[in-house]
Amino acid sequence: MLLSPAERSYIYDSLCQKDPIRPDGRTPLQFRPLEATTDFLPGSNGSARIRIADGSECIVSVKSKVVLSEKEANLIEWDVDVSGYRDDSNFVSNLKFSLTDLYMKNFPCEKLKLTAKYSYKLFLDCIIVSHSSYPLTLATMASYLALKSTRLPLLVSEVDDSQVEEQPTFSDDWEKAQYLAEFFKTESFSPPLYITVGIVGENVFVDPSETEEQVLENGLLIGYSEKKCIAPITNLNLATNSNNSNFKGFTPALLISTVDLLKGHLSSIVDALDTLDKQDKEDRTQSIF
Amino acid sequence: MSRLELYSPEGLRVDGRRWNELRRFDCKINTHPAFDGSSYVEQGNSKVICMVRGPMEPPMRSQVNQTQAVIEMNLNIASFSTLQRRKRSKNDKRMIEMKTTLERTFEQSVMSHLYPRTLIEVNVQVLAQDGAVLATMTNAITLALIDAGVAMYDYVSAVSVGIHDQTPLLDLNVLEENDMSCLTIGVVGKSEKLAMLLLEDKMPLDKLENALAVAIAGGHRIRDLMDDEVRSHGNQRVSKLTS
Amino acid sequence: MSSLLSITRPTKRDSRSNDYDSDVDMKDAMSEYQDEGSKDNTSVVTPGELVTEDPTWMKGHGTYSLENQTYSSVAGNVLRLNRLLSVIPIRGRYEAETGDYIIGRITEVGQKRWKVDIGCKQDAILMLGSVNLPGGILRRKSESDELQMRNFLKEGDLLNAEVQSVYSNGQAALHTRSLRYGKLRNGVLLKVPSSLIIRQKNHSWNLPGNVSVIIGVNGFIWLSKTSSTSTAPSVNASTNSAQSALASKGGYKPGEGSVSITRLEEESSWEIYSDKNDEISASIRGTISRYHNVIKAMSACELGITEKRICMGYDASMMYADTSMLIEREAQEIICQDIIDSEKMRGD
Repeated sequence: MLLSPAERSYIYDSLCQKDPIRPDGRTPLQFRPLEATTDFLPGSNGSARIRIADGSECIVSVKSKVVLSEKEANLIEWDVDVSGYRDDSNFVSNLKFSLTDLYMKNFPCEKLKLTAKYSYKLFLDCIIVSHSSYPLTLATMASYLALKSTRLPLLVSEVDDSQVEEQPTFSDDWEKAQYLAEFFKTESFSPPLYITVGIVGENVFVDPSETEEQVLENGLLIGYSEKKCIAPITNLNLATNSNNSNFKGFTPALLISTVDLLKGHLSSIVDALDTLDKQDKEDRTQSIF
Repeated sequence: MSRLELYSPEGLRVDGRRWNELRRFDCKINTHPAFDGSSYVEQGNSKVICMVRGPMEPPMRSQVNQTQAVIEMNLNIASFSTLQRRKRSKNDKRMIEMKTTLERTFEQSVMSHLYPRTLIEVNVQVLAQDGAVLATMTNAITLALIDAGVAMYDYVSAVSVGIHDQTPLLDLNVLEENDMSCLTIGVVGKSEKLAMLLLEDKMPLDKLENALAVAIAGGHRIRDLMDDEVRSHGNQRVSKLTS
Repeated sequence: MSSLLSITRPTKRDSRSNDYDSDVDMKDAMSEYQDEGSKDNTSVVTPGELVTEDPTWMKGHGTYSLENQTYSSVAGNVLRLNRLLSVIPIRGRYEAETGDYIIGRITEVGQKRWKVDIGCKQDAILMLGSVNLPGGILRRKSESDELQMRNFLKEGDLLNAEVQSVYSNGQAALHTRSLRYGKLRNGVLLKVPSSLIIRQKNHSWNLPGNVSVIIGVNGFIWLSKTSSTSTAPSVNASTNSAQSALASKGGYKPGEGSVSITRLEEESSWEIYSDKNDEISASIRGTISRYHNVIKAMSACELGITEKRICMGYDASMMYADTSMLIEREAQEIICQDIIDSEKMRGD
């Protein structure tokens, strides 16, 4: 996307002010409204589709497989597909790396252990059907919902099979399948999210839109889970595919204040996601459109 | 593994249909308003999204054709679309074949001479496969192109048909498709003309005519279902704009 | 504070029930084929549908003929004009027509011409000879002009222009040879479907709150600060600079205006191709973003966009103190309902 110099300076100046004004009037910590559905793929253990009014859309599917624990290095495997990008392009590899990194550090993989010998392995496939702004927030929100809707069949064989030569067996009754939270035996199962943050002067903005991305001085990718900002935190130029002449360094103090700011406010994001997940579980719609 | 009985003596198939019955067919157009045209089609448990951009200025000089529009198909089959997760690369032979088939089909059906020096980009996303994927994709593309306002001679409605013993079976699901020779056709509108015919295995020649007749009738039925959606969507839109 | 994130579930557009699993009987298919002719004329036609068997109609856009019968090639409404029969598609890209007031973005600088993205099927052409250049409208374009084309307009620049002509292959040629056309500054662009824009006499307006809007027929809308000296709508920076230049000389005498046409052009100088914005106050920026969201709401609800409606929508939006609320679907619908209601009250 290419902006004219006059547009750029107008948007930049608006964002730079003491009371910044975003082009669409959002408050600095406000996300764009989303539309989401969960569990619409009968062939997957869990799935979610999420989209923004500007046409950005992301679909995530979770599939599980029973594996021998000792043979698998990672119990979560990501695959990212972005329409219009080659699978071996930098953009796709970076997204895949960022997601793998986030989940390696913040997902309770050890709880996927099924028996002494066997584990579940989760395959997370993320399709970015279309995007205009940097798609990681959307992708992690869709993964959040997909994992929340993920169900695993109930194990009926012995948990301790270290001496047994048999493979685990499962209940045929899908009604007895467990949601991940039940399977993990935790009350608060909350997969991690990435929040994209844009920096202009002293101001920070969450979920910058494509136009905003063009004028940002820097961009941050901040992991977030359970009311905490978590590793990884990285900075990057969110305006992919165009050169952003405003791009420059930022002061470390800004990073610390941003993390503080997010910590206090972002719990409502997770609440909103949880509410949708609950609504969908109560009243299931089959079609996604 | 015990062989499934694909067609019972009573005339019922694995999913309870009779020989000439279609699976559930559900379609929506204009699902992605940010694109020029879009659609979503469910044929049985096969699910396909299609998004069209254009006709538009081609981003690359190599895509310019002075006399007609260039149609570019981008197929993407999700790795979770099959029961067993399987990653399909975009350079997979089968994918390239389907892409070429679809490109040729729509080059004939779209009035591309009306849009010289433009590009029509068609993005197809398969979310779930349960047989007749090519047919589902074709139907989704037809709807998305209509939604984009691209001039077409007629609908292209596609359906598959298989031969089991002596009986032609319409609109195969994945179990049936794996077990019998099958034929996918794209019918032009309500005519008996075909815009597409794909037969990848053997089929007795004397059965072919019968199979085609069943498939054409099935294609007409699908065309009607798609037409219903286009009409109801169109009327809804018109009433909105004139109110 | 309003909520930071709202998530909605997709709304069912309509709940019509199809009779699935219905038999495909060859007899059925045939009988349906028979009663095709008796279709309601008022409803939309779809591709491949027979529009008329009367061969005297001339075939316009959206139709094709086979053996003297005219069929529709798109889904849309039939338009019968004199003896011309065409089908207007329900959706589709903007089709340029001579005289359209449009906004575009430069995509390519070529030899003696610019390519401009106007949301059409093909980029439009702006010839070097069709723009005002510094130093007067009447001079010939020289080679040096050709060499510094990028100094006038470069890739990414926005301009408003008029469609001068449309070539037979559908490509549009633009011109900016009027003082109201030229490079755009001091504001933001937003895009809406061109089908929502109604062709009117005037497409640029001053709105309440010191904001100006240019509604391009192609669905590109430019919201900017009303330039300080302009009193009438559609006067852009070039005149202002010329006026202020004249004013600064202190010698503006009545009567001089009549000869100043060429003079004005000389004064217009490089100013018309400037990339610098004027000073814009925070309150105007706030108002612009409110207008932005009002127009977005109208586009989301597929409401035709006119200057009157923008003003009404702006008034309606005042019930939300915070502009940030206006991006929620619910608020958008309320605003649009309000516009429709107030139009009914006025009896428009």
